[in-house]
Amino acid sequence: MGILLSLFWIFLKVNLLSNSGIASVGLLHQEAVGKIISEDQFIQAISISSVLPGSEAEKFAMFIGLRVAGLPGALVALLGASLPPTILMLAVFMVLKRLQREAWLTRFVKGLIPAVAVLMVYVAYGLVASGKNPLNWQVLTISAFSLIAFIFDAPPPLVLIAAGIFGIIFLK
Amino acid sequence: MNNPTTLNKSPRDVRIWLELFWIFLKTNTLTSSGPASVGLLYKDVVGNLMTEAEFVEAVGFSNFLPGSEALKLAMFIGFATGGYIGSVVAVVGAILPPTASMLLVLFLLQDFQNQPWVHGLIQGMVPAVAMLISVAAWKLFKGSKSIEKLPLLIAGLSLIAFMLGAPTPLVLLGGGLLGIFLFR
Repeated sequence: MGILLSLFWIFLKVNLLSNSGIASVGLLHQEAVGKIISEDQFIQAISISSVLPGSEAEKFAMFIGLRVAGLPGALVALLGASLPPTILMLAVFMVLKRLQREAWLTRFVKGLIPAVAVLMVYVAYGLVASGKNPLNWQVLTISAFSLIAFIFDAPPPLVLIAAGIFGIIFLK
Repeated sequence: MNNPTTLNKSPRDVRIWLELFWIFLKTNTLTSSGPASVGLLYKDVVGNLMTEAEFVEAVGFSNFLPGSEALKLAMFIGFATGGYIGSVVAVVGAILPPTASMLLVLFLLQDFQNQPWVHGLIQGMVPAVAMLISVAAWKLFKGSKSIEKLPLLIAGLSLIAFMLGAPTPLVLLGGGLLGIFLFR
């Protein structure tokens, strides 16, 4: 029961405090890795969901929920991830629509964005620095190539798969 | 389909609910969330279920709320055109593709877990995932219009807080609160 509650709470929190998509990865990493999932599982979650359709938040919830506590875990995580956007949007529709956009809420999100961006870079750095491999030539090569690829808007699934194949050949 | 009179469909109409379900199922099967899905939704929704102004409003509201974009749009468009039932069918349509496909993939992948090459695959992906996140962070940061002093200040303070080991949710909340007081 404890694990289901913490799954629900983690996904509720992550989806309350970050925007959709890859931006939620920073907070998710801080809340879940080392506590309920391993770093390997975290990387798997991101790479598998980059290939699949639909919203990132639900794919992460599904992956982590299933891995940690099977189908009940997936359902609980999914519920936690879905409540904030749906309830808030309904509230906005019914209340704020009449009051126009609340200026303080806009400013809250504007203040949230730099913090979320820094968190993402912080987590990204931690992934490479604390990985099982030291900063050897293989890691640096993959980093450089994928950085260039993403700057030029290459499709993430292709880049991740290429990096993975490079890893199979050159990383032990 | 682009007949403007269809905008006056009744929200109690079963056909609207079916259409909402189908539109969100399709959008979330064909795209990941984000700009691509907004484009696809626009084509299916504007002139058919909503006016362009309403759609722009939905996207605008969804930009300043947290959580999954797909679910926010499903909620807003579903509720605006089909009432409570409309929002439920739209949200279910949006949730099904990512969850069902993830369930299927994890089921199929179960046997691969302990193959030795999977370890190399994952380790190779680590730096690429790190770069994916970094570039997304940069785009998010730059997307908040031109880079001014205040976002940089918040970014700097958050970095210090993370390095000191402050709890992540508190740091993010702090960023938002600073935004309320500092942005004009």
